[in-house]
Amino acid sequence: MNEFHDTGERRRSSDTPLLITDLIDEETVRSIAQEAWSALIGDDEFLVPLPGGPPDDAVSSWVDVVGPWTGTVVLTCSRATAEELARCLLAEHAPPVLDAEDVHDALGELANVVGGNVKAVLPGPSALGLPELGSIPAAGPPADTCRVDLLWRGRSLTITVQGSAGAVHITPENNPQKNEVPL
Amino acid sequence: MKILVADDSRVMRQIVIRTLRQAGYDDHDIVEAEDGADALAKVSSDQPDLVLSDWNMPNMTGIECLQALRSSGSAVPFGFVTSEGSPEMREKAANAGALFLIAKPFTEETFKEHLDGVLS
Repeated sequence: MNEFHDTGERRRSSDTPLLITDLIDEETVRSIAQEAWSALIGDDEFLVPLPGGPPDDAVSSWVDVVGPWTGTVVLTCSRATAEELARCLLAEHAPPVLDAEDVHDALGELANVVGGNVKAVLPGPSALGLPELGSIPAAGPPADTCRVDLLWRGRSLTITVQGSAGAVHITPENNPQKNEVPL
Repeated sequence: MKILVADDSRVMRQIVIRTLRQAGYDDHDIVEAEDGADALAKVSSDQPDLVLSDWNMPNMTGIECLQALRSSGSAVPFGFVTSEGSPEMREKAANAGALFLIAKPFTEETFKEHLDGVLS
């Protein structure tokens, strides 16, 4: 008869927090984003995996994922890039002068689509939050962050999938500097 | 025929409507709803032949809207167009009475594949 020896290994391993770097890689994130760009922006729209440098006037949209892995999928670009993305998404419905709500909406929806597809490859069950928008959020723990730097039409665009431990989002509500220039 | 498009994102509603036209459904009337509660009210007032709804929306989610419709006796054909397409969500959608779940991003071919049987 076999004796069962409880080494505690199973309990310890299940208590270990999942790290995003063990769950998804940069190429998968880039591929998810490229599929979203091809379908929503256009067949000939490519995301080139090259760092373009952080924009001076960065704006971010993000969605939270809550489940076995908990964190945030963040899309960051310049305000000008966000406006160009909104024009592409609205196509013939884009007005000559975009209002801030449409730009927020467009960037949020792109984060939502990328985030939903990132969530789909993570262990479940998990829940996806509604898109939020603001200044660039605080970085997540490096060991729990998957970052992809891309160029779209020569413009810098970054997607990070970052664990929530220790990270605090900076929103217009809790950011003392707030956004001086509305989108 | 009339299609109700429910999504809290105006941009995404425009994309869904554009994709419907690209897929060949350009002679259908379109009604827009900005969340599940709005969709629920417009199913009653506008009597659409099909509802295409996002899942995650403020006020009332898409699945809550579908459950409310079925509880009230409405059998309006209902499909999800959502950024999440996990097997669990597809099962939950089907159990609630949805005909299909189209995951974003989508193409006009995906729309044809799911809508032809409903709108033909």
